[in-house]
Amino acid sequence: MIQVINGLVYGSFLYLSSVGLVLIFGLRRVTNFAHGGLFMLGAYVSFTVAAYLGFWAGLVVSAAALALLGALLDRFVFRPLAQEDPIVTLLVTFGLLFVIEDVVRTVWGKNFLTVPPPSILSGVVPMFGTTFPAYRLFVIVAALIIAAGLAVWLRSSRIGLYVRASSVDPVTTGMQGVDTDGVSALVVAIGTGLAGLSGTIASPLLALSPSMGGYIIIDCFVVVVTGGLTSFTGVFIAAMLIGQVHNLGIVFVPELASMMPLAIMALVLTVRPQGLAGAGK
Amino acid sequence: MTAPVNEPFLAVTPPAARRSNLLLAPAMIASLGLGILAPAIVSSPLMLTLMTQAVIGAVLATGVGFLMRQNGVASFGHAAFFGLAAYIVALNGKFGLMPTEAAILLAVVLPAILAFVAGLGIVRLPALAFSMLTLAVAQALHEIFLRWRELASGDDGMAVRLPSTLFGLDVAVFQRPASMFVVCWSVLVLIIGVLWLIARSHFGLLTIAIRENEERARYIGHETVLPRALTYSLSAAVAALGGVLFVLYNAFVTPETLDWSLSGEGLIMAVIGGARVIWGPALGAIIFFIFKDAAGDFTEHWQAIIGMTFILVTVWAPNGVSGLLFHLVSKLKARAR
Repeated sequence: MIQVINGLVYGSFLYLSSVGLVLIFGLRRVTNFAHGGLFMLGAYVSFTVAAYLGFWAGLVVSAAALALLGALLDRFVFRPLAQEDPIVTLLVTFGLLFVIEDVVRTVWGKNFLTVPPPSILSGVVPMFGTTFPAYRLFVIVAALIIAAGLAVWLRSSRIGLYVRASSVDPVTTGMQGVDTDGVSALVVAIGTGLAGLSGTIASPLLALSPSMGGYIIIDCFVVVVTGGLTSFTGVFIAAMLIGQVHNLGIVFVPELASMMPLAIMALVLTVRPQGLAGAGK
Repeated sequence: MTAPVNEPFLAVTPPAARRSNLLLAPAMIASLGLGILAPAIVSSPLMLTLMTQAVIGAVLATGVGFLMRQNGVASFGHAAFFGLAAYIVALNGKFGLMPTEAAILLAVVLPAILAFVAGLGIVRLPALAFSMLTLAVAQALHEIFLRWRELASGDDGMAVRLPSTLFGLDVAVFQRPASMFVVCWSVLVLIIGVLWLIARSHFGLLTIAIRENEERARYIGHETVLPRALTYSLSAAVAALGGVLFVLYNAFVTPETLDWSLSGEGLIMAVIGGARVIWGPALGAIIFFIFKDAAGDFTEHWQAIIGMTFILVTVWAPNGVSGLLFHLVSKLKARAR
């Protein structure tokens, strides 16, 4: 039972890391390879802020800083390249990942850093006859809050409507007079802000190193492809499913655990090439 | 009127292409000669080591670039084939399953087959999903060799037991930079020659047609998945050859040969060199290694520099350095006229 909860924690972590990618892909039809780099940058920013002002301030500052960076990214990278093949943006953001890694290594050094969980969540919670770290439960709660918040925002606000419309069919949405460039700065900012937020939330669970961004992005890719690239429900289900299977894999077949998410993905793509909840091409 | 006929792959090339194929032979002989002379001219062993590494990198980049050129997709996972080939030779040395020559053959063929089978599925996906999947699959393979310590001693890597003679040559030939450079260079030239012929064949043109417009190619009666899967397989075989050269030269292999950062380097070399021409990625590899060596002397920020260069080339010179060279040559020609 504890293992199932651990799987939920990992799934929540995957969801938080990946959902920003889906948001940006939905509106811009580009894959942001630097997403993992932004996640890492968010973790480092919060590391520094938390050292002075505490964890929660770190969370807010890092999400805000990354959102600002996202707005710049949209203005100076995504928008000028909007007419190009999406591969171009993929490659450019891939190059950006290298730059971000170098910046982080220069500012924070290349040694591993660790972040303590906030004191209020540093304890353990008794559960199923054993105890469970409170912070890990918080990760699940945070994922649920973000998922619910996004769902409400996407269903009830005008921009949410644009985002949903655009992720179904960006061309028709544009023809209906929706200024996708106008809303995309905001949407990309939220997407990268989520990267910063998830980086911060993940930081007490991971050791921070400049190369972590490259590895996180791989897990995110598996999740979003399985989920169907544009679907918010899809990415949530995919993250939880993969989190669960991966975690059970670690318990029972540790050598092959890293293959488990791929096996799930291969299975899903064989049955549904467009992903769990994808809308075809 | 008539049902569309699928011509066989690698059908006879049209006469126009065949005439320019005549240029290939002298170009290859000249390049081979240049490679054989190089160790005589370059006496510094350090330089020769660097050059050998660069040429092995060039083989990997040529594989990545060929896929970009023919299929129009970017692979972030070619290290999988490179590293897998290296590990096949290494594991054969450990368990002594077959003669090393046979293992080398297997090390090229098996990755090609795996790529073909995987390719049948993943080439259908949109280009972005394709890129993401190549990365994920390669990284999973990396994890296996990293975690499965009994098989390949994980992170520590494994020393590779090689026989004293290989293909009738003393094994030292493959491990001394001066002679290994010639071997790697010759393999690279041959690969480029073969890929050049394939790119000009019916099959090569068909894949380009599919790259340009898959739907239209299908409407005029071509099967479109198989050619792309074959191209993917071919480019995997090239990367695997790079892995074979790597393992023969170093006689040591670590999971780093499978890591995504190596795949990324291959892609960077291919983009910087320019994948429009077959030899562009190889040129990119050589630039990459010279640049890396030079930058290492005066700055710590090699990574940021290469990242920025990569971005600038992608946006402003999508055909890479080789594209710029062509542009320059055609300008000079126009001026001479």
